[in-house]
Order: sequence, then C-alpha cells, then structure tokens
Amino acid sequence: MIAPFVKTELISEAMNLWLAIPIGFLFGFALHHGGFTDSRKIARVFYFRDVDVPIVMFTAIVTGMLGLWGLSLIGYMDTSLFYFLPTYLLPVAVGGLLFGVGMVVGGFCPGTAVASVATGKIDPLIFIIGFFIGSLVFGDFYPVWGDFYNSDYRGVWRLDQLFGLQLGVTVLLMVVIAIAGSMFLRLVQRIAWPDTFIPVKGAVLKVQVALIVIALVLATVMAFFPTSSYLPAEDDSGWHIVPRVIITTPVSGQ
Amino acid sequence: MNVRCKLPPVFAGILIGLVMLIAFVISGRGIGVSGALTRMIAVAQNTISPQITQSSEYFSRYFAYGQNPLDNWLVYLFAGMVLGSFIASLICGDFKLEVLRGPNISAAKRLLLALLGGILIGFAARLARGCTSGLALVGGAELAVGSWTFMLCVFAGGYAAAYFVRKQWL
Repeated sequence: MIAPFVKTELISEAMNLWLAIPIGFLFGFALHHGGFTDSRKIARVFYFRDVDVPIVMFTAIVTGMLGLWGLSLIGYMDTSLFYFLPTYLLPVAVGGLLFGVGMVVGGFCPGTAVASVATGKIDPLIFIIGFFIGSLVFGDFYPVWGDFYNSDYRGVWRLDQLFGLQLGVTVLLMVVIAIAGSMFLRLVQRIAWPDTFIPVKGAVLKVQVALIVIALVLATVMAFFPTSSYLPAEDDSGWHIVPRVIITTPVSGQ
Repeated sequence: MNVRCKLPPVFAGILIGLVMLIAFVISGRGIGVSGALTRMIAVAQNTISPQITQSSEYFSRYFAYGQNPLDNWLVYLFAGMVLGSFIASLICGDFKLEVLRGPNISAAKRLLLALLGGILIGFAARLARGCTSGLALVGGAELAVGSWTFMLCVFAGGYAAAYFVRKQWL
C-alpha cells in the first residue's frame, strides 16, 4: 500500500499543497473543455435541452469510483488513511433542494462559476458575490440553524451498507445505473428538443462504446472478486472498510 | 464556446474523474471548490471586522490556534483551477468579457438572478457541507449515501424551480 502518498509519507505536507495547483489546473482546463463555463449549458439541463452536465457527472463518478475502489482492491490504496465524507442526511437533503433551485436560478454551481470567471464572463462574478453573501449569512447566523446542521448524523455511510450488498456489487450496480441514466437522459433530450440532438458517430462513437465496455468489465471483476480479502481482519462487518467515527465538533464541507 | 475546443461529455467526464482520482491517490481526499470560497470570505470579513468573525461559532474555528484559513489544500487547488480555465479559454480563443444569457432576458435581469442564485447556493453549500465537486462527484465515487441524496435533491429542486425562470434560459 503506497497511496494516499501524503498519508503514507511518500511526499511531504508542503509538497501535497503545491501539487494541488497542477491538479486544480487540470480541473479548470477540463471544465472549460466540457463547456461548463457557459451558464446556459448548465441551466438547460433542467429543461432537458442539453443533458451533457449529468452525463459528465456520471462519467466522472464512474471513473473516480472504479479508480478508488479498484486501487483499494489490488492493495495499492489504503482506504483506512482516506478521508471519507460523513453523512448528515437531513441537512444534506434540504441543502440539496436549495442548491438545485439556486442552480437553475443562477446558472452555476461554485466550481463552474469560478472556472467561468477565469474565462472573462461577468455573470459568474455576480454569482460568486452572491455565494459570499449566502456563506456569510450561514456562518454569522449559525446559532439559528446550527442544531439542524449537526442533526441526523450517520457517520461514514455508503450505498453498499444501505443496500446490504457487497462493495464490488454496488460498484457494478452504480456503473449500470450511470450508463442507463445517461442514455435515458439523452433519449429524453432527443424527444423533447429534436433540433438540439447531434448523433455521435465515427471514431468518437467507437471509443465511447469501448470505454463503456471497459467500465463494465472492470466493475464485473470487482463485483465477483472476494472483497473480504482486502478488508482488515479486525473489521466487524464485511461491509465496513472504514469504521464509523463519532465526530463531536462540526465538520466543514468541501 | 469555440466548437473545436469542445470535448464530448464522456471524455470531459473521464478527464474530471481522473483529476479526482489523482487527488485521491496523492492527497487521500477529494477535490472541492465551495470550501475555498467560504475561507476567502471568512478572511475578508475577519480583516474588516474581526469581532463578528471571532464571535461566529462557525467561522471562528477557521482561525483557531492562529491558523491562516487560506493555508489550505483547497485554496491551492482553487488557484490552479482559475489558471487552468483561463489558459484553456486563451488556447480556445474564447476569453471574452461578456454576460452569457438566454435570448429573452436582459443582461441586468440575468445578473440579478445570478446574484440570487449565488446567495441560495452560498447558503445551501454550507448547509450540505459541500457542492457539486466536493460533495456530489467525490462522494458519489466514494459511494456516500449523503452525496447520492444530495444529487437527487439538487435535480429535484432544479426541475421544480425550472418553470419559473424559463424565460432566462429558453
């Protein structure tokens, strides 16, 4: 096990900070090339007029998921050193609903707004000023919603624990859902806005089909690999890779 | 945007997924954006009025033990991100000062709605402990129940409100 590098002290804390810059660079570069620096592209998801955004999200999640759990499976990544997001179920649900309304009204989420400002757009700049105001209201009037913010704590809680399935099987299930979901969304776009539909052809189509096959094959291998073999022996349950931790102080988000 | 620069969604998604994976392998944590923005505004408020910031239970812990909230992994990531999309827009030839909006709305109204949406998201991202990158994408890959709940709720909220602002986009 050599990853995560900074936790296994392969690299220093300072090096870890500096490496965040090229990682961020690639992220911003990818967001612009995906077309996400245009608010119209993001907001039109909510009219099914351009469903690229959820397809990109599905693809990114599948890539990260196969990578993270695949590396853990082959013993390269020590997930016990990994920071997993804790779940506060009700606050995340209410936050999500408000976030969705904000997204269709404002046309951005924080990451796309930051990337868009850097391409010279003015609407994301105003959006970010709004974000600052919203954050200040949350932080300065914290006692009003602090109790709700810290309520319904579920620890590190994963889908495989929720479903009662093996981790690898859950990964396969989510890959299938991501592929089916992407195709369904594209179909809805085609029916609702026929003039916006551009069929994928030629080399792009071939590569996409190949990538889908690779993802399915990888996930199938993970699903039928004996996952308990890479769990620590002292773990109480086959579903736990990371034991639940009780956090007493509020934890900041990303 | 410039068509020759446009990546098909599956390729853009894989690139973003790889960025996330590199962060997992190097740093053992996820990428994220809203955290850096909140740290910046906390520092700005602390400069103008340390009293308000220090009395806020939420913001004061950013400064606990004399820490500088900006000396943080997310802030370095943020700097790289701004540079990355700036360079990308220069390469593609679509760096331009403009307000992007639908055909049926004035620039002033678009900016007003951008401000309103920003306020909502600034609040919602703090309540949910993250945004699309740090919570939805990273947590989605981690198989976190909270993150998948967040994504379902974001789309539910977005579709529910879409009708009322349709003139802005269509």
